Amino acid sequence: MYKKGQYRETDKMSDLICDNYPMVLVMYRFGVGLGFGDKTIGEICRQNEVDVCTFLAVVNFLIEERTTPMKENTEECLSVEALISYLHNAHDYFLKFRFPHLRIKLVEAINDCPEDVAFVITRFFDEYTEEVEKHMRYEEKIVFPYVRGLLKGKENTRYNISIFRKRHDQIEMKIIELKNLLLKYYPGKGSHSLNNVLFDIFATEQDLFTHNLIEDNIFTPAILKLEKRT
Amino acid sequence: MNINLKIAVAEASSIVRSGVEVQMKRLSGFRFQLMEITGSELVHEAIRTHKPDILIINPSMIVGFTLRQLREECGCPAMKCIALLYSLTDRSVLRSFDEQINIYDTNDEIKQKLEKLYIEEIQDVTENDEQQILSTREKEIVVCVVKGMTNRAIADRLFLSTHTVITHRRNIARKLQIHSASGLTVYAIVNKLIELKEVGKQ
Repeated sequence: MYKKGQYRETDKMSDLICDNYPMVLVMYRFGVGLGFGDKTIGEICRQNEVDVCTFLAVVNFLIEERTTPMKENTEECLSVEALISYLHNAHDYFLKFRFPHLRIKLVEAINDCPEDVAFVITRFFDEYTEEVEKHMRYEEKIVFPYVRGLLKGKENTRYNISIFRKRHDQIEMKIIELKNLLLKYYPGKGSHSLNNVLFDIFATEQDLFTHNLIEDNIFTPAILKLEKRT
Repeated sequence: MNINLKIAVAEASSIVRSGVEVQMKRLSGFRFQLMEITGSELVHEAIRTHKPDILIINPSMIVGFTLRQLREECGCPAMKCIALLYSLTDRSVLRSFDEQINIYDTNDEIKQKLEKLYIEEIQDVTENDEQQILSTREKEIVVCVVKGMTNRAIADRLFLSTHTVITHRRNIARKLQIHSASGLTVYAIVNKLIELKEVGKQ
C-alpha cells in the first residue's frame, strides 16, 4: 500500500506524508503540524527545532516495516532527547486522545445490545486502558528519568535499560482480544458505527505494535550504547 | 485459522528477496513474520537472535558452514531449511535441505510445499477449529472464573485437582482465544452462562 525506500532530508515532507499517511501521526508527535507547503523534511525539522536524524530514523524504520534493530550507522546521530520527547508525545496521544475517544465511540456503538453485555464490554475496555496506562506510566516515571539522568552523566547503579528490556511486554495483546470478542461473539446486529469502532481498534492495535517496536529497536539499543559510554 | 510462522529470507539480491516476501504474504492459511538476511556473514547472528521457524536461503550463501552446524550453533534444532533456487545447484548440496522453492514456482506450489512441512500443525489447527465449542465441564469452569474464584476454590467446588483446573483453563483460552478473566466475562454474559449480578469483582 505504501511506498518504501529510505527518505532523506532533501525529500519533500508532503511526499512523505502522501506516500505513507500514518506518518502524519509521527510528524505530529515530533511537534510538527500541518501546512508545511513545499518545504523539505530537513527544512521543516530545523524550522520546528526537531532533530532531523531522529525524525528520519523513526520514519524510515516504520516505513521499512523492519522488525530488527537499526543499523549501526543510523544510530550514530540519534538524539536520545528527541526520541524521549517523541515517545512521551505518543503516550499522551494514546492516553489522552486515542483511548478516551475510542471509548466514547465504543459505548455509542454497542448501545443497541443488551445492557449487561454493553456493561461487560465497556468494563473490559476500561481494564485494558488501565493496563496500557500502567505500562506507559512505568516508562514515564522510571525509564525516562533514568535516561535523562544518564544524559547528564549521572550514574545509577540500581537501574539499567536491560531491566526495561526484560519486562517490556506487548501491550497490544489485549486489544486483539477485544477485537476477537466483538468479531466472534457480538450479539447485536452491528452497525456502521460499530464497524467504525472496529477499524479504530485495528488501527490502534497496529499503532501500539509499532510504538513498541520503536521502543525495542531504536530506543533500547540507543540507551544500551549510552550506558556503555558512561 | 492461520498458522503463525517466523520466516527468515537469506538472499543477497534485494529484488529477489522482496519478491519472495511479497509472494509469501499472498499465501492464505499462514501468517508470516518475515525478516531479511542480506549477507552470508549475517546468517548466524540473525538466526541466533530471531530463532525463525523456517529459513529460506539461497544455497550460495552457505559458505563455510553446514545447515546442521547452523541449527546447532544457533540453538534452533527444529528450524526447517528451504533452498531458494534460481540456478542449477549441485544435488548433493540440496540433500541437506528440507524443501526447495524455485523462483518459477506458483503460489499454489509454494503453499503445498509449506503445508507438507507443517502437516501436523495444520491437522492440529483444523481439529481445534472443530472443537471450539466448550464442554459442559469447561463452561462450569468459565462461570467460576467469572465469579472471581481462585483455581483452588474452583478445584474444591468441582471436586477436581488444581492441576486439572489449570489444564481446563488452558484449553478454554486456546479454544476461545480469550486469555483474561474480563474477556471471559464478556463471553459468559453474551452466551448467557451467568447473570451480571453474579459476576465477581475483578
